[in-house]
Amino acid sequence: MEFKKTRRRNVWVVIAAMILLQCVWILRIFNSADRIRDGWMICLYQFPLLNSIIMPVVAAVIASRLCDVEHKGQALKLLETVMLPGKLFDAKFLCGSCFIFAATFLQFLIFLVTGYLLNFTGPVPAGRLFCYLLFTATVNVTILLFQQILSLLFVNQMVSLSAGLIGALVGLFIMFFPPEFERLLLWGYYGVLMLVRMDWNSTTRVIRYYWITADWNGYLTLTAMFCVLYLIGRMLFIRKEI
Amino acid sequence: MLFKTIMAEQIKLRHSPVWLAFIILPVLSAVMGTFNYLQNIGILQDQWYSLWTQHTLFLCYFFLPPLLGVYCSYLCRLEHTNHNWNAVMTAPVPISFLYLAKLTSASVMALFTQIWIGILFVLSGKISGLTSPVPPALPVWLLCGFAGEIVICALQLFISLIIRSFAVPVGIALIGGIMGLGAMAKGYGVWFPYSLLCLGMRANRPGGPMQCSVPGFCVNILIFLILFMTLSMIWLKRSDVVAE
Repeated sequence: MEFKKTRRRNVWVVIAAMILLQCVWILRIFNSADRIRDGWMICLYQFPLLNSIIMPVVAAVIASRLCDVEHKGQALKLLETVMLPGKLFDAKFLCGSCFIFAATFLQFLIFLVTGYLLNFTGPVPAGRLFCYLLFTATVNVTILLFQQILSLLFVNQMVSLSAGLIGALVGLFIMFFPPEFERLLLWGYYGVLMLVRMDWNSTTRVIRYYWITADWNGYLTLTAMFCVLYLIGRMLFIRKEI
Repeated sequence: MLFKTIMAEQIKLRHSPVWLAFIILPVLSAVMGTFNYLQNIGILQDQWYSLWTQHTLFLCYFFLPPLLGVYCSYLCRLEHTNHNWNAVMTAPVPISFLYLAKLTSASVMALFTQIWIGILFVLSGKISGLTSPVPPALPVWLLCGFAGEIVICALQLFISLIIRSFAVPVGIALIGGIMGLGAMAKGYGVWFPYSLLCLGMRANRPGGPMQCSVPGFCVNILIFLILFMTLSMIWLKRSDVVAE
């Protein structure tokens, strides 16, 4: 039913535009042989940065598109008389998650295809790519959950979209802060769960990329944040006066 | 009549928390930009100019365009919902005034944002211990940035008039902001409406001259402004009202 509500609401257009933008971005990056040599690492460094700017806004747009339809039509009154509010919350979240998973997977396909087309040097780091997919999908879905809670609780969608923008700004800036700051906020986890770091030598102006081990403690913290957000958000929606 | 229409627009915005985001976003950008500046003071040696870049670079490309998009979406949503277009379009007010009132309302918010960014910049510099005088070009940066913001408001209002969704125009503004980065990198910033804000603010090169000449910048601002205003007015005159 939720998918039927999204018909002709052009949610896919937002995702397609995002993918197109990332294609352009990545094509602009790989303009020298040096960069193709470090291709996989550059991809795994650049995409989390790009995600921290784009994905909070994309999640806010998707959540707003899914929830605003009920506010506009004052449909919550009707819906909650025929189904439990908790189930409605879950259905909306699952629907939004499908869009977010699709966006994450498409993005993943972009850099696999780019890797093969540009012949990135070295073997495909399959384990790390899988970790990237898992981490990115989890951060995206957690942010989507946060946005859905705001979009459902506030009729004025300006609140949720502004929160998405502020989150994106904080998430981007916090990457340049000491690592302990990143863990405090949901949007900082694109940086916490990065698998590649960059070392820039200010005298030689040479950039060196290097692998780091996956931060599974960070992932567990994020999962805990997701669970707490889900429980609180669902409870708030159930108790909300319609 | 125009003044009364503008006042009516302001009445619609009473008690709306829309201004909060315009206060918070520059504060966050200033706090984090200053912190980042202080962390990398060894590399960022141009004092006020380096601090300006830290404050405004991300804000101009990625965050102010969508935030202006949120504001314009909100202004149009007031009419899209509750069948308000029916009332607005049958009021004895010229259509151009309706659009200009909304554009003025958005531009006033943009002006306050610019002043706020300027105040935060000077405060941050003083707190960071910068002893050299504040760059004399600061008011020009802010004014040129304001001109760029008016163009973005005009475009976003046009988009929000056509697309009745609240969120999609915001997404378009984000994409526009990111594409603006590409346009600036290629040297076409002055020809792309979303780049004009960054170009005017000298966010990526505050010490040097603008990427284009100042008269060229002003002419393009005027061209874009007239273009988007004309398109919006034609849209309002020609298309049938769809109220929800």
